[in-house]
Amino acid sequence: MTALRRIGPALLAPLLAIVTALVISGLVIVLIGESPFAALRVMLDFGDTPAQQTQAIVVIVNRAIPLFLAGLAVSVAFRMGLFNIGVEGQYRLATIVAAAAGAAVALPGPLHVLLIIVVAMVVGALWAGIVAVLKVTRGVSEVISSIMLNFIALGLASYLLTGPLRGSPPGASIITTAEIPESGWVPGLNGLLTGVGLAEPRTEMYGFLLVAVVAGLMVSVLIKRTRFGFDLRATGLSPSAATASGVDARGMVLKTMLISGAVAGLIGLPDLLGTSHHYGTEFTTGLGFLGIAVALLGRNSPLGIALAALLFGFLDRAAIPLQFEGIPASVVTIIQGTIVLAVVIANQVARQITRRQAERGSAQAVAPPSTGNGSTGGGQRPGGGPPPDDGPTTGIGTGTGVRNASGDARQGAGA
Amino acid sequence: MYRLDVGEDAEERPPDRATSAPGGSPNPCDTHRTGPEETPLNEPAPLAVELRGITKRFPGVVANRDIALRVRRGEVHAIVGENGAGKSTLMKTLYGMHRPDEGEILLDGKPVTLRSPSDAIAAGIGMVHQHFMLADNFTVLENVVLGSEPTRGGRLDRTTARRRIREISDSYALGLDPDTLVEELGVGDRQRVEIAKVLYRGARTLILDEPTAVLVPQEVDELFGNLAELKREGLTVIFISHKLDEVRRVADAITVIRRGTTVGTADPRTTTAGQLAELMVGAELPTPQKRDSTVRDTPVLELRGLTVVAGGRSVVDDVSLTVREGEVVGIAGVEGNGQAELVDAIMGLRPPTSGAVALAGADISGWSTRRRREEGLGFIPEDRHRQGILLEAPLWENRILGHQTRPPSVKGLFIDRKGARQDTDRIMREYDVRAPGPDTLALALSGGNQQKLIVGREMSARPRLLIAAHPTRGVDVGAQSVIWELLKDARAEGMGIVLVSADLDELIGLSDTLHVMLRGALVATLDPARLTPEELGGHMTGAREVDA
Repeated sequence: MTALRRIGPALLAPLLAIVTALVISGLVIVLIGESPFAALRVMLDFGDTPAQQTQAIVVIVNRAIPLFLAGLAVSVAFRMGLFNIGVEGQYRLATIVAAAAGAAVALPGPLHVLLIIVVAMVVGALWAGIVAVLKVTRGVSEVISSIMLNFIALGLASYLLTGPLRGSPPGASIITTAEIPESGWVPGLNGLLTGVGLAEPRTEMYGFLLVAVVAGLMVSVLIKRTRFGFDLRATGLSPSAATASGVDARGMVLKTMLISGAVAGLIGLPDLLGTSHHYGTEFTTGLGFLGIAVALLGRNSPLGIALAALLFGFLDRAAIPLQFEGIPASVVTIIQGTIVLAVVIANQVARQITRRQAERGSAQAVAPPSTGNGSTGGGQRPGGGPPPDDGPTTGIGTGTGVRNASGDARQGAGA
Repeated sequence: MYRLDVGEDAEERPPDRATSAPGGSPNPCDTHRTGPEETPLNEPAPLAVELRGITKRFPGVVANRDIALRVRRGEVHAIVGENGAGKSTLMKTLYGMHRPDEGEILLDGKPVTLRSPSDAIAAGIGMVHQHFMLADNFTVLENVVLGSEPTRGGRLDRTTARRRIREISDSYALGLDPDTLVEELGVGDRQRVEIAKVLYRGARTLILDEPTAVLVPQEVDELFGNLAELKREGLTVIFISHKLDEVRRVADAITVIRRGTTVGTADPRTTTAGQLAELMVGAELPTPQKRDSTVRDTPVLELRGLTVVAGGRSVVDDVSLTVREGEVVGIAGVEGNGQAELVDAIMGLRPPTSGAVALAGADISGWSTRRRREEGLGFIPEDRHRQGILLEAPLWENRILGHQTRPPSVKGLFIDRKGARQDTDRIMREYDVRAPGPDTLALALSGGNQQKLIVGREMSARPRLLIAAHPTRGVDVGAQSVIWELLKDARAEGMGIVLVSADLDELIGLSDTLHVMLRGALVATLDPARLTPEELGGHMTGAREVDA
């Protein structure tokens, strides 16, 4: 009961947003002359045979794993009020270097995989570290520099792919890095699926799921339970208060971006180690940008991000069946886009509601049980508003040009 | 609840204050009120504002109950009460920010319904907020017209605006130049801009929310002069305050609010501050009287030639001072004379350009803020929302803030949630922080309770040196005396305290040594035992040369 009360508002906003987005998308489908209900039916139709149904689930989960990691990477920075828009470049660069490193060495199974993961994380962290260094030393906005670095990362990845790290024979239509030997592959989890009585799907569910779960747990513990996480959240809530409390704002920017980049380095690995085993021109793109949407939708909490990633995976799976029905696949993109927009708005509304509830709670905290006459019954209700557990830090904390005359503008936010 | 018998009922008293000498302390701004031009209002005019039986409930609490308020046209009517007594709720009701559950609002004798501040503005009610709402990089003119710009052909009609602002400024002696940038103005001028904003929108009744909180005595006198001008022009002023001496100086009538309801009206001529305080809190007015000197010999903080250059000028200019154990060193000064930068430099939040800071003999100039805190610096910041508290975090997390590396809030690298919650409970008990529990969000607390939490948190770490910047700003009389007691106890136990304040009584009452800061430099060192607030005010504005 109380748990429901506590998380109720946290769930309300995304649910409301999703419903709103579905209604808007339905209208769009009507406008292009198709039936929204047909579209909905296609999206919910996982196939006729048990094998097809399991396959649909595997497709959704396999898509959700990298999306989850992308959302996680973005959210770590978000919690501190940093916008890491550069996840796209970080994971693309990390994946190609990790793919090449994995192909270049031969190690026993688990070690080989570990090496690839470490290389990917280090490359992602270093690339994100450039953003942090620029911000800390030269005050460059991380939004600008991380976007710019995306272009450089993509160019660099293309150069590496066609040049030094090229592994495919000359003249091949698809250029790739050399294949990672089998010791560097991550086995699938289909044994797990059949183990619980589901039909054998056509493709393997990525074993990297476990790594993603571990990453999610680690980030969750790091943010919520550690001193470092406290400093990070405090900086996100109020950079000035955090600095006054002894948080080294510059160091936090650097550390947070390194963590965000390291997680971003993992994004390409489910595909790389699960199916493709090499990085090529056909490698999945756009995960970094989708990660921003997933993090927003999941309100920066690892659990929320997981749910959001599954939702996006579910929507993405529907793209192909929708085309069979004559409905353009871009409907999926429209739904995703409107969900994100609606979530941003709903988060803000929910935030204001919680804030108002809490502020109303204040009056009761202040008014002591009245002595003398008994006209105000002393019934103090416990609890102001429920605390928004995963602070809706998505509200972008830009100062409004208007400020109190009393608090002059000494030292801007953070660095 | 009882009805007060000090003074007769406000509305029955002829407002012939011009001839009456105000009681109490010597009053430098007397002249503002003794002009012969004061309009006689003996004929029965309808009340400018009347509230009847206003009740406002929030879930689980009655914020205002059966409020009765009668304000005559052309008077300065003070509303006094502790923070949290319901003054703000009442004023929000009158300004249309929310609607009362019961009761009537009458303006000029006619019942009105105010659905929003725009309704209130249309009805001639204006609000001057405690925190100024001005855009620094706009001119006075732009700030004043913002939101109700006169336009000609779709463009801002500066000529008309300028003319109207000059008219307003001249007729109420506000002395505003429409084309000055607001960032170049002092606090008093900014307040006059706020008043001009309200007058520009045609207000006939002005609500001033704690207008003197940010002013030094001289500026307060100027403000009271302005209020007299407003009154002379037949405007009505509702003046919210908890500074009783000021209220008694400026008000024609006083209404006291306690625990959400009006407990009485008082005549400022015949009521003493003590009687008013008793009405407000049911207790004696606290004074920051300190006990015997507890100053020991060991210095805890030494500043030598500390200089901070910002924007090409020395905002802190060669400051040297020593704080010994058990000593309270007060820093007086008009705000913006470098006190904030000095505090930042001591805390390590702003690198000094030159000079050294030593804590208990160790040079800490190169230490980080965290290390300084760990080694015994406590900090009560001047702006608690900016530097002292995370509004959207629960109280137990705010307990950790600033003490992230020390028990009971942490275990190794991890946050000790249980320990932090328990210790928050203890602080709430011992320091009288009124809140439902450690999981309440900090923004749900009143200013006084937030401040008590901060004080409790900093005291709990037993710092060697406490920097208390405006420790009782914006807190009610009850919390104020609690905080003063805590500071005095800590001093007696040997803590060194740097007290930066704008409250001259507080500075004089608590300090063992008092420095005056003007344009970044310490210009005078005074003995608080032989000093009146007026003398101190003179030093602060630089009117008196160094003579101590």
